[in-house]
Order: sequence, then structure tokens, then C-alpha cells
Amino acid sequence: MDGKPLTSPASFIDQMVVPGDVVLDLSSMANQTIKLGGGLRQDSDAISVMKAGKLKFSRPNKYWVESSQKRYVPCVEDTVLGVVVDSKADNFLVDIKGPALAFLPVLAFEGGTRRNIPKFEVGSLLYVRVVKASAGMNPELSCTDASGKAAEFGILKDGYMFETSTGVSRMLLSSPTCPVLEALGKKLSFEIAVGLNGRVWVNAGSTSMIILVANAIMSSESLSGTKQKIMVENLLRRFQ
Amino acid sequence: MEIDRHDSRTRNQLRPLACSRNILNRAHGSARWSQGDTIVMAAVYGPKAGIRKNENPEKACIEVIWKPRTDQVGKAEKEYEMILKRTLQSICVLTINPNTTTTVILQVVNDDGSVLPCAINASCAALVDAGIPLKHLAVAICCALAGSGSVILDPTKLEEQKMEAFTYLVFPNSVLSVLPEGSLHVDGEPMEHAIITSVTHGVISVDDYLYCLERGHAASAKISDFLRRSLQS
Repeated sequence: MDGKPLTSPASFIDQMVVPGDVVLDLSSMANQTIKLGGGLRQDSDAISVMKAGKLKFSRPNKYWVESSQKRYVPCVEDTVLGVVVDSKADNFLVDIKGPALAFLPVLAFEGGTRRNIPKFEVGSLLYVRVVKASAGMNPELSCTDASGKAAEFGILKDGYMFETSTGVSRMLLSSPTCPVLEALGKKLSFEIAVGLNGRVWVNAGSTSMIILVANAIMSSESLSGTKQKIMVENLLRRFQ
Repeated sequence: MEIDRHDSRTRNQLRPLACSRNILNRAHGSARWSQGDTIVMAAVYGPKAGIRKNENPEKACIEVIWKPRTDQVGKAEKEYEMILKRTLQSICVLTINPNTTTTVILQVVNDDGSVLPCAINASCAALVDAGIPLKHLAVAICCALAGSGSVILDPTKLEEQKMEAFTYLVFPNSVLSVLPEGSLHVDGEPMEHAIITSVTHGVISVDDYLYCLERGHAASAKISDFLRRSLQS
């Protein structure tokens, strides 16, 4: 019941925290410039937790809470998979599983001019990059990288898209390659696009391979590395 | 004076608590909370763009839908929705996602007394599961006044009907903090004495009410610990 008086913030790092926990006391810290990531908020001199998860710290001064959700919080420079919902004169409206619809400017393509505006139907799946994301405003997307080149962004045709949590997306994009993708990649050839908003797109030669890859990824969320490998081996054995 | 409870609990004993999260596939957050035989499921959808009429567009809006077991929605359900909406509005950080709506849907699976506290606990767990930003958690408890100033906790439906008065109390959870003890203050009052919601049925004297608050606050610490353990798994 009592708040245990702890003298150093190191005690909370890599621990599971719940909303309400006060993890940092700015008045007692020497270096007072701190970068707060997701899940933390500032209450005058105390930094308290907003989302349940694990508190992480990265030198020199970044703190954030890592958690896995079904919805996405838009951040700049994230690559996500969006679904076109509508098209206006200047923008496409794209759903990226965030609190608001995102805008994709009609000219945000490599060599994009008013004469060659791409035509996306409602429901098209796009691999895009988040350019602007601030509270209260609709996020802005782009189909080019920072230097203006196309770089694999754009529409994804064929294949199959499914939704998982943001934690699974981060695991699939981590390096070294996560065990489930490594085990699948040894035996099958397939193409995959992972969005940090929890959407994953898979394409392979045959439909049964696509379904196998999708099922393997969806069931790998709560498994450890070795269990993921065993699960993939079981799946592959039954189908080949 | 020892009270005889028909399920042979002591006065301060709570029914067994159980909480499971992420049980619904399509909901963005979901939880099922049971206290003994009272079971409530909560589902959270959101935040989604758009806001209801007459709501402040500079803040997030919370919408609550209460579905009773027998599917007849009446005034009691509307009252529960309003109490829940006010309680959840005070624990969510509403300024983070302005002009959005978060919908909380509660389904009463079984009602065996103290269904509103069970629903508040379930919706708090579901909000955490959905990743909605919260200032702190809410833990709810029901205290019933059993004649001659003695208070029993977490009554069943039979006990609620027999008692002269009962009250639902919602407290903020007990937090772990790096600040020295006793320094979390809001408006000059220590956080340990905070109360979020109080709903009373029946006639209760001021002294009895204050005693209920005290017992309820002590019990909320146990529920708070249980909630913390269940969120960490």
C-alpha cells in the first residue's frame, strides 16, 4: 500500500510498471535534460507512467515504456502499412490504425507531378513512411524516403495482409533476425512487409505457403526463441 | 461483534478475485474481472477519430455502454453508464488525443452483488490492455453497513438486499514511487487519502460512512496489489 521510497531511478529500469508509478524525480537528478518516449508524462518535477509495460532506458538520457498494443501511436520516421480509405484533391486519406486518419499528399511520390498522380482504389494497401506526427493533428505520410527516392514504398499487390500487435511487428523487425522468420526462411521462399503499426503483408508462390507463414507469425507472439523454432518445424513437417 | 455471513467469510474478507485480459479478438482492449460469482467483461475500442455532439473537441471523449445480463436497458443501466463515464474520465489523460472517442462496452455475465465495482475494475484493466494513457488506475470496492455500525466488505446479492445501506467506493491505486513517502500531493492533500467516486444506497450516518471509507481504503490496497500482479504477467 505504501509507496516504497527508492533513491535511484535505476531500480525501475527493466521492471514492469503500471499507470501511476512515479519513476523519475527530476529535482534529484543531476543531468536534467531527459528525453521521454511513449508511455511517460511529466507532472511538474515527477515523471509518471501512463501505460503499463516495461520501463526502458538508453544512454545518455532516453526513457520510455515498452508495451504491445493493437492500436498504433504515430511516430515520425516509422514505416507502416496503410489502407486507402478515400482520395481528395490534394491527399489520399489512409488508415494506419492510429487515433486519426493520415494524409498522403498526392505529390509525395518519386517524380510525382500534377500530371502523373497515381490512382489508388479504396482498400489498396500501401507501404509508407510517417513524415509528420504531432498530437491533435492528422499524421502525414510519404511514399519516398528522406532523399526523395521510391525505395520500396508504394502499393503492395497480391499477397495477404493480416493484423497483429505492435510488439510482434517490433520483434519481426529486430536484428538479429527473429527466430520465427529465420526458421521459415530456411525452408520457404516468401516476401514480407512489416509495418510498425501492427500490419504484416506476406506474398509467396502458393496460397498454402502464404497461410503457413501468416499462421506461424500470428502464433509466435507469446513464444520464446526456441519454442518459436519448434512451432515452425512442426508446421513445416505437416505440410511438406 | 461477529457477523454471520452466509458464505462464512469474515467481515473484511473479499471474494476470490480473477482477472484475464486480451480475451476478445476484435476489441482493441478487453478484460474479464470476477469477484466470486459476479463476473463482468469489458471491451475497449479506440481511440477513434470523431466526437459525439456537445462534447469538448479539445479533449478525448469516453463513451460507455452497459449491457445487462437480461438485455433490457433501463434507467439503472443509464445511471451505471453515467457513473462509469465520470470515473473513467477522471483517470484517463484526456488531453493526449483530442477529438477522439474511446468506447467502453461492459457486459454483465453474472450479477451476484457489487456489480458496479466489478465493472469499474474490469474497465480499468481493459483500458490498460488497450494502451489508453491513464493518470493512475482505479480500484473499486463495495462496503455494506450491517446494523450497529459494523461494516462488511464485498457483499453478495443476498447480503446487499438485507443490509440497511451499502456504498460503492473507488480509490486510485497504490503507486510505487521514487519520491520520498508522503510527498505526492494534489491540492495540499496527500494522495493516499484520495477518493474518485462514491455511490451510496440507503441511509447511512456520517460516522458510519467515514468508517466505511476507512475499511474500503484498506481493502483497496489488496485489490491494487492483485491488479498490479495481474498486469505484470
